[in-house]
Amino acid sequence: MTPKSDAAISLTVNGTDHRLAVPPAAPLLDVLRNDLRLNGPKFGCGLGQCGACTVLIDGLAARACTIPAGSVAGRRIVTLEGLSRDGRLDAVQEAFVAEQAVQCGYCLNGMIMTLKALTLRDPAPDERAIREALRYNLCRCGTHLEILAAARRACGLRPDARLSARDGGA
Amino acid sequence: MTDAARTGDQEEARLVIERGSASGSAETFLIVHADGRVTGHNGHVDLGTGIATALAQIVAEELDAAPDQVAMVLGDTGRTPDQGPTIASETIQVAAVPLRKAAAQARGILLSRAARLLDAAPEDLAIEAGLVFAPGSNRRLGFGEILAGATIRAELDLATPVKPAEAYRLVGTSLPRVDIPDKVSGRATYVHDVRLPGMLHGRVVRPPYAGRDSGDFIGRSLLFVDRASVASLPGFVELVVIADFVGIVCEREDQAAEAARRLKIAWREPPPLPGLDDLAAALTAHPATPRTLSDHGDVEAVLPGSAVRLKRRYVWPYQMHASIGPSCAVADFRDGLLTLWSGTQNPHMLRGDLCRLLQLPPERIDIRRHEAAGCYGRNCADDVSADASLLSRAVGRPVRVQLTRAEEHAWEPKGAAQLIDVEGGLSADGGLAAYDFETRYPSNRGPNLALLLTGAISPDPQPSDMGDRTAIPPYRYAAERIRVHDMAPIVRASWMRGVSAMPNSFAHESFIDELAAAAVEDPVAFRLRHLKDPRAAELVRATAGRAGWVERSGPRRTGDGSGEGGKLYGQGFAYAVYVHGAFPGTAAAHAAWIAEVAVDRRTGEVALERVVVGHDTGQMINPAGVRHQIHGNVVQSASRVLKEEVAFENSTVASRDWGSYPIAQFPEIPDVDVLMLPRPADPPLGVGESASVPSAAAIANAIFDATGVRFRELPFTPERIKAGLDAAWGAPAPPARLEPAAPAPAPGTVSPRRRPPLLRRLLAPVLAGLAATIGTAAVGLVLRAPIAPVAPPDPATWSAATLERGRQLAALGDCAVCHTVPGGSANAGGRAIETPFGTVYSTNITPDPETGIGAWSYPAFARAMREGISRDGRHLYPAFPYSAFAKTGEADLEALYAHLMAQPPVRATPPATALAFPFNLRPLMAGWNALYHKAEALRPVVSRSEAWNRGRYLVEGLGHCSACHSPRNPLGAEKRGAAHLSGGIADGWHAPALDGTGEAPLGWTQDALYAYLRTGRSAEHGAAAGSMAPVVASLTGVPDTDIRAMAVYLASLSKAAPQGDRQAEAARLVAASEADIRPAQSLGARLYDGACAVCHRSGAEATLFNAGTPLALTTAVNAAAPDNLIRTIFGGLAPAASGAHSAMPGFAETFTDRQVAALVSYLRSRFARGRAPWDDVEARVAKIRASLSEASTAGG
Repeated sequence: MTPKSDAAISLTVNGTDHRLAVPPAAPLLDVLRNDLRLNGPKFGCGLGQCGACTVLIDGLAARACTIPAGSVAGRRIVTLEGLSRDGRLDAVQEAFVAEQAVQCGYCLNGMIMTLKALTLRDPAPDERAIREALRYNLCRCGTHLEILAAARRACGLRPDARLSARDGGA
Repeated sequence: MTDAARTGDQEEARLVIERGSASGSAETFLIVHADGRVTGHNGHVDLGTGIATALAQIVAEELDAAPDQVAMVLGDTGRTPDQGPTIASETIQVAAVPLRKAAAQARGILLSRAARLLDAAPEDLAIEAGLVFAPGSNRRLGFGEILAGATIRAELDLATPVKPAEAYRLVGTSLPRVDIPDKVSGRATYVHDVRLPGMLHGRVVRPPYAGRDSGDFIGRSLLFVDRASVASLPGFVELVVIADFVGIVCEREDQAAEAARRLKIAWREPPPLPGLDDLAAALTAHPATPRTLSDHGDVEAVLPGSAVRLKRRYVWPYQMHASIGPSCAVADFRDGLLTLWSGTQNPHMLRGDLCRLLQLPPERIDIRRHEAAGCYGRNCADDVSADASLLSRAVGRPVRVQLTRAEEHAWEPKGAAQLIDVEGGLSADGGLAAYDFETRYPSNRGPNLALLLTGAISPDPQPSDMGDRTAIPPYRYAAERIRVHDMAPIVRASWMRGVSAMPNSFAHESFIDELAAAAVEDPVAFRLRHLKDPRAAELVRATAGRAGWVERSGPRRTGDGSGEGGKLYGQGFAYAVYVHGAFPGTAAAHAAWIAEVAVDRRTGEVALERVVVGHDTGQMINPAGVRHQIHGNVVQSASRVLKEEVAFENSTVASRDWGSYPIAQFPEIPDVDVLMLPRPADPPLGVGESASVPSAAAIANAIFDATGVRFRELPFTPERIKAGLDAAWGAPAPPARLEPAAPAPAPGTVSPRRRPPLLRRLLAPVLAGLAATIGTAAVGLVLRAPIAPVAPPDPATWSAATLERGRQLAALGDCAVCHTVPGGSANAGGRAIETPFGTVYSTNITPDPETGIGAWSYPAFARAMREGISRDGRHLYPAFPYSAFAKTGEADLEALYAHLMAQPPVRATPPATALAFPFNLRPLMAGWNALYHKAEALRPVVSRSEAWNRGRYLVEGLGHCSACHSPRNPLGAEKRGAAHLSGGIADGWHAPALDGTGEAPLGWTQDALYAYLRTGRSAEHGAAAGSMAPVVASLTGVPDTDIRAMAVYLASLSKAAPQGDRQAEAARLVAASEADIRPAQSLGARLYDGACAVCHRSGAEATLFNAGTPLALTTAVNAAAPDNLIRTIFGGLAPAASGAHSAMPGFAETFTDRQVAALVSYLRSRFARGRAPWDDVEARVAKIRASLSEASTAGG
């Protein structure tokens, strides 16, 4: 059955509970961006392919563009804006600043959120785990080398560690 | 940053350096504000390249200001000079020149004023961190104090001397990028993040000729558009139609997206596109005007006498800019004034286009440039800016438009395909005797789409002259002829990073490598002998030294010792200088690549392992920024060379997502070592593109070093390389087969997907006769008496317990699933149910006396449920599963009746069911009933548990599972006995067998059945899809004990109980399915990797919210027919009410039939190993797509 468009949904985002009169079938991404005015998650493909819309849901990376807002009531949603504590950036964000790991920055939200999810489940991943975690996060500027350096820094590895595809790649 | 600058931009005391522009209004280059802040103004924009930082660095340097004292305003048409599009890597090299002069000029003005205040000579004063002082004095003046309330406007003087490079303190240092902290925290405002009060959301609906922009059908293809199809949708504001421009405006973004999907619209079929599978043929046949760029030494005379003569052809595919964020703009058109927030790369050019589109003078258009997704050339940013402007003009309110991924992919002006033919030769002494080079580049500047769609400009093919970039080779050939064939686009195309220089250099640098091999010389030494430019030679030597270049006189074919089937390693060299601007153009930075590859002989995969890049860009403003650009160029160009190619199908672009247009992924990223030659005294050269230019040839030359085989057509996909190696060496002895041989189908089996149409065709005459016979024999049973209507009973007569029981039973019986149209009132009927005999429409079972069952007494209801007879005596069709319902006990039927009668009545007359003869003869159902229907309750089986008996009662009775899960005979009756619950068909979906004979790779356990029925998903099998999803949703209202009982009974039907360690078995299946999944070696494999694997790969459940089931475990991939898989790919999945899974997106609008078929066949081969491939998948895909579009038309 098609949900009525005026039905209210509940969302818990960055620690705040919201009750919103939005269509439950609306993509979570649209609701975060347009109704909650959050700029962190970005629309990239609408198909869950590129990762630009990534948020954390109950600590896991989640592709907000494919998730109907009405399907995640009661779950803890965290966006890029919710990572900082007391005005201080999260260690993953700080690593991106330190490594200047941004060109246009449109994919950046997904990179940071995916790596945050990685560090939550594995505080000490190796190079292969980092690359595998980011496999389905796409960047078109080719900032991969800087992003990998930031990821290594955030994961306690040497940022300038080098690794050929022979050891850790596809 | 642009915002910060904007806040202080009021009329105030300040020093302005400006130039009277052609239109009479002044163009601003620099402002020193009263508070001492400085803003530099530049007509170019920051595309994520860091030029906002580098330009601020230049300004701060000339002024000796503190770096954080300076901000840049980039690209706003109201406030920056028109410096043309941000292309050709010219911002630092060209556009920064007047800015630097302006800063130097401001410095002079400030110093002369300070000299008066400090009573010193200007030349004696110094500035440090924005403070002016006389050496030896303690008094320091800020810029604001020096201005002291005065407003000074000075005409830009390009003769102003600037600082000598040796005096630089900021330029040449790696200052951090100014934009990164805000981007990392989510504070940055991209154009996508602009929100205005009262802003609406727009979506465009594009014509079917995606990616084309010339021909008389452009702007003239709309046949009709049905406003009524969207006008009543929630949030609808306006539909805007101007020739072929169609847009919809709604209150919410999701509403606009839905409206765009629902809009009924018809277009004229576009004329066919020339075949682009053979690009060389298409480019050779395309009309062109030859232009000779260089001709000396009489090539035609020299070539025949060459000692070695080579003729080579190089083919470059269409590629995409592929911005990671689809283009977006916000327009506010009010009172004849347009304010536009845009991510354009070309603000002033866009303003010109909008003047034409909207018939406005330039001063009525204010473009505010915001950062956007990187574009590397011309993406749809300008197009969407015009879209938003048209929509805002129509509604008089601000409108935001963001394109979809498919629209951006399909419509962006592509990086053009290119064809280069080279013929050249060596003299007897190994010298470069002759070089005859012809290049074809079908591209222009990508006219604004709205201008074309609305008919504001003519869609005549317009060529451009941009095919000549770096067309002149860097080597000294004794005789040389260089020609470019200027041609109009074939598909919409425009400049893309490296423009034509990248393909041209692919040819130059591949060819010189071939000549070196022919001369039996080392490729680097050979180049050094013939390079014209000593500065280039210096870079080549330095790069070779850095990389540890191994001298060779031919391909080394280095293996890893594992022999045939192993990997081959190679190192390849290429050098190029990127020349931009009108011919002969201006050189940007020089770049040299040494690429190291590993070629897998077995799969054809080329792994790019390491790239050493030498780079000479003259003076570097911000070395870290330069390095960043080099890295980006290396990674992006490697992606283009190894993976990228736009697909065309049905005369349009078929690459509409990241599955059909894959780009580099993290595990493939090579190690990159950058050598930047220090040249602080030389002028800065553009760095935005140069490091891309040598990529293709360096990689091709490395593959040659590894294999001895030349590749001259991109991309170097595994299939292309493997085919090339096989052709050169003969196919290798087949390795262990990747896919098991297809087992022959069992004799006598008929593929179920063929059954309905085939049987119907063959049996129809027989059936008619048979049915007539039954009808005659059973004539005494035909006429059934109506049961008198009653007044609707008062629900108060039933107890709360009875009503609750009835509610549960209605949920169990899924009444509302069939008796409700999608989106309609519950139980009001009208849903179309497809049967082999035609479409049956469900009836209204709300208690409305006239259109529903309000006038039905309980006996009438019970007779219908048990015997299939309507209150008026008519026979019901067994699409209504009364043969199952008949097994229900009296008390339950009464409770169900009570529940239905207590629901709100809905007045609604569903469409009449009208089957074809003979099935339209309802009395024949009496005969059917005599043959197939037994109206009796189930008797408990005493040897079985109470739960089992309860489960059986629910499954076989009101649950009516067999209605879908049992096969039916030619007369539509469920088969019994061994065939009972052995699988059937529902709404075009295959309902799998429930008796343990199904195709699920892991058998169903009681726990799995319980999880599936309770939550809509079993981790071992996947999610409920198709008609089963609403069934599970309905079962939400059934108590846990009953769901468990159903699981107990269903599990008992399995002839063989699942055994062993199921988790281990699941893990084994999944691991086996993914063992040789990489590299992707086919279209299907690439689609899976780009579109499916992110959610369905093994391990995704531990890392990704809403991950899908690994496909090796799913029934759909293992089933006898591909229908369920195809339907799921088309339609996706809705979330389960239980939260067990969220949605899966559908791909009907993304993939072509050919792509879906390739994907489906691939999935079968990889994730259902050991099962026979499906036949005729593409035809099946087309058939299902047609049925879906019929359904949407009927339902819409």
